[in-house]
Amino acid sequence: MELQELRITAALAYLDLEEEKFEKLQLAVEQMLQYFSKMMEVDIEGLSPTTHALVHENRTRPDQVFPFEDTDSLLENAPETEDRFIVIPNIL
Amino acid sequence: MSSLSSWIGLLTDPKTRDSYIHYVEQLEPQIGAFIQFDPRIGLKESLPEGPFKGVPFAVKDILAVKGFGLTCGSRILEGFVSPYTATAVEKLQRAGAVVVGKTNMDEFGMGSSTDTSFYKQTCNPWDLERVAGGSSGGSAAAVASGMVPFALGSDTGGSVRQPAAFCGIYGLKPTYGVVSRYGLVAYASSLDVVGICAASVEITEEVFSLIRGKDERDQTSLEETGASGIDGSYGKGANKIVQRIGFVSGNLGLDPGVERAYRKTQEVLRSLGYEVRPIELSMLEYYAPVYYTIATAEASANLARYTGIRYGYRPEYAENPEELVRKARSEGFGEEVKLRILLGTYVLRSGFQDQYYQRAQRIRTAIRKDFDRVFQEVDVILSPVFPTQAFKHGSEGLDPFQQKVADRFTTAANLAGIPALSFPAGLEEGLPVGFQLMAPVFGEELLFQVARKFAEEVPPLKAPSNTSPWS
Repeated sequence: MELQELRITAALAYLDLEEEKFEKLQLAVEQMLQYFSKMMEVDIEGLSPTTHALVHENRTRPDQVFPFEDTDSLLENAPETEDRFIVIPNIL
Repeated sequence: MSSLSSWIGLLTDPKTRDSYIHYVEQLEPQIGAFIQFDPRIGLKESLPEGPFKGVPFAVKDILAVKGFGLTCGSRILEGFVSPYTATAVEKLQRAGAVVVGKTNMDEFGMGSSTDTSFYKQTCNPWDLERVAGGSSGGSAAAVASGMVPFALGSDTGGSVRQPAAFCGIYGLKPTYGVVSRYGLVAYASSLDVVGICAASVEITEEVFSLIRGKDERDQTSLEETGASGIDGSYGKGANKIVQRIGFVSGNLGLDPGVERAYRKTQEVLRSLGYEVRPIELSMLEYYAPVYYTIATAEASANLARYTGIRYGYRPEYAENPEELVRKARSEGFGEEVKLRILLGTYVLRSGFQDQYYQRAQRIRTAIRKDFDRVFQEVDVILSPVFPTQAFKHGSEGLDPFQQKVADRFTTAANLAGIPALSFPAGLEEGLPVGFQLMAPVFGEELLFQVARKFAEEVPPLKAPSNTSPWS
């Protein structure tokens, strides 16, 4: 993989990569992609993709509301809050 | 034979409760099975009457248990407290069992050694210099060291079966969808299942029968056999007597000790009256590449939720929200997780999807068809779990790439959705070796049948560090 491709991919994944680790990571990615390329040997003509191992139809359910009572426990997990708002850095 | 009877009521009687806590607390510093050990949380309220009343059990730190932390072995979830409880855990609690703690694991389930955990190292109860396996290494080590009779884990590509084999215990990966994933933090949703580490076949069966079943809160969970929309060529396996066992043959690249034990296991099964014959899995060499393509792709999407905004690790300072997210993820995720997110993001990028993700999903269909073919010939399949026994911590062991290639035997069951049980098959050079049995979907009973019979001939052994009077 080109270094530039890795940078684009990292940006898409919201990951900052440290320069000194870049090369090592690039090699590891390269090694895995090489390994993935083994899949090119398989004739996939006529095979449909598997998404769920067993179920082949879409499953739906009624759109119902089930209230979650203990909303405080959710807010307590926020790293920084003010009243019942979650604090983040300024957008502008 | 280890059974639950000696564990029942253990935590309801203050005297036995104290000696239990003492046992775990003196052993835990050597083993490192738990990220959090706190039996008091589960004992705050009176226990319901049930067949598991007062029985301690452990839960991998990737399953939600209200009041406990939920770190997934990652810095990015440090300090997170679970607001609710996973269905599988809740079912055990309703039967009177008590969660005593959350077990160590490879970060987000990504690894085969538990060494990628941000929090601590887990050591193999048979040899402390060696890993307990992974990613459910803490769960397997807690069972093997006699701290609990069973523990829940998760198995995306072998994460329950491989540590079970390394630690000389049982590890069940159920049929996909049979146990609800509600409350299981997602790694690769089409492959993830909640699994069981246990000290005996009997305990594995008892726990499985309690936690199975369709759950309204998990849309991928399944009714038992015969539900509509399920592939018709599957699901005919249950309730028969196993006669034919096919063992995976060919040049499997096993370590000599594992190879010897594999042949011995085939001989024992033959002596028990089974027709044991070689079979070939024609797609074997593609399991791991297909698995890693699908798993990393799904992981990159599932792990996009960790932003450091609503919960989890937040960096000291960020100029704006976008920088906050980038810093939280870059500082919060470990190296292996970053590698897999990058791979997954790459294989899903426009222009590469056909070549990787789509192709992998189509080969997955071929893999399922290959199992269909084999299950016409045999009732269950015997296969290695891992080509080596428990390896040493650090650079003397297997490197991360070798560990991934070594997942070739376990990933098959996840790709095909079929159940698999890893069982202990004696020792080689003082360390346990385990093999796995695979059955058609919903065929868990077939696995228990064979494993029960095998254990009469080759009973599971206790690890040297396990001096627990209850196991």
